Amino acid sequence: MRPFHPQYILEVLPQLIWYLPVTVAVVIGTVFFGSLLGILLAAGKVRRGRAGLVLANVYIYVIRCVPSIVLLFLVYYGLPELLSTFGIDINSAGKGFFVITTFSLLFGASMAEVFRSAYEAVDRGQREAAVSIGLTEFQAFYRIVLPQCVRVAIPNFTNALVNLMKEGSLAYTIGLIDIMGKGQLIIGQNHGSYSLEIYLALFFLYWVLTLLIEKGAGFSERRLTPEKKRGGGASKCI
Amino acid sequence: MHLNTQFMWETFLDVLYGIPVTLKIVAVTLLVSAPLGFLMAVSKSGEGRVGRRIIVAYVSLIRGTPVVLQILFLYSLLPTALNYLIKEVLGLTYNIFNLDPIFYAYIVFILNTTAVLSEVFRSALATVNSGQREAALAIGMSKIQAYVRIIIPQALVAALPNICNTTVSLLKSTSLAFMMTVKDITAIAKIDASFGYNYLEAYLVIFIVYIFLCSAVQGVFHLTERNAAAYKRPAAS
Repeated sequence: MRPFHPQYILEVLPQLIWYLPVTVAVVIGTVFFGSLLGILLAAGKVRRGRAGLVLANVYIYVIRCVPSIVLLFLVYYGLPELLSTFGIDINSAGKGFFVITTFSLLFGASMAEVFRSAYEAVDRGQREAAVSIGLTEFQAFYRIVLPQCVRVAIPNFTNALVNLMKEGSLAYTIGLIDIMGKGQLIIGQNHGSYSLEIYLALFFLYWVLTLLIEKGAGFSERRLTPEKKRGGGASKCI
Repeated sequence: MHLNTQFMWETFLDVLYGIPVTLKIVAVTLLVSAPLGFLMAVSKSGEGRVGRRIIVAYVSLIRGTPVVLQILFLYSLLPTALNYLIKEVLGLTYNIFNLDPIFYAYIVFILNTTAVLSEVFRSALATVNSGQREAALAIGMSKIQAYVRIIIPQALVAALPNICNTTVSLLKSTSLAFMMTVKDITAIAKIDASFGYNYLEAYLVIFIVYIFLCSAVQGVFHLTERNAAAYKRPAAS
């Protein structure tokens, strides 16, 4: 049996935490660009036109079927070639660029469904009622419709976010140094020893991140639920 | 952009040998995980505080951490741990390092999928009204009969779409099995690509292959869903 040093977990944690901003930055960048794509796709699905609907559905279907790592490699090796035919050179772009592009493509597909279901969940009458009592169009959207959409979207958004953060760990395979990449680097420097301790430290970090996201989601969901609905009938969520 | 179509065709033929491996991992994982996940779902809603706590923690840990990390961890832990167990504790002479790495893939994906399926089954069981169980017991069925004949057929209808999702994401996760030196679709494509740096072509090929496989899986589930929901339709006279 190989030796196991639990105290090394504590030793290595600060070194890994130093790279936490990279992991978080990938997530934030992806949420931003992925949401833009998601809005476009969701608009394609709810607007009338057939072409938009078909295009959005095909895109979502294809993305749902493709493993993240295949898409990541495809973007990493394919995008520079594709763009070079248009005379654009991105060979000098950082690894983060390819990672955020890949995960935005993936995240956009899940966000499209999140946006669409949230949009359809809020009754039209809400806007009409708001406008009829004298709110402006903007106020009706901002104060009445949006908070309800957000509340409906939170559970699905949280799922997508946790998935994104977990899949993000694949970024090390193209050489991005986030917490996962740093862990692999340290293992390499140690010639493979202490790998169990480092992986356990990474387990701890990812688990804490997931729990934080879920706690935050639960908190904002409660904040957005009106007093009247909070008491009865709320299903217990573990 | 220039694609080497000759290479793509050859890679496609090579990759075909990886499809059975990928499907084998998916099938074995589902066959083992489904009963385990079901037991977990049942015992989660039952009594026994300690057992429930452990299950909740297990599911949360598995679902809160990346699959790739679980693979790397278990693949660096299991071989040496099993070797120690066999040589030192059991006193056998079997060389664990000759074991087909696909067994490690089974273990990782079973651990992972069991956690996901336990949640799927728990929510599916919750959709069946408790009156159904009580009625079944009242007319003299045993607990097992009530489950097999009354509750599971109804819960299955609710569970199937989620089982389909789980299977699709399992299929996608198996693309990481190459990290355990399993020769699945992705591994074969990677090996082919590395000879002449034809990564783009190789990944394009398996991109298509995965879309086909995923469509096949969804097609199978679609048919099953229609069959499982047959009892909801009015009987043909």
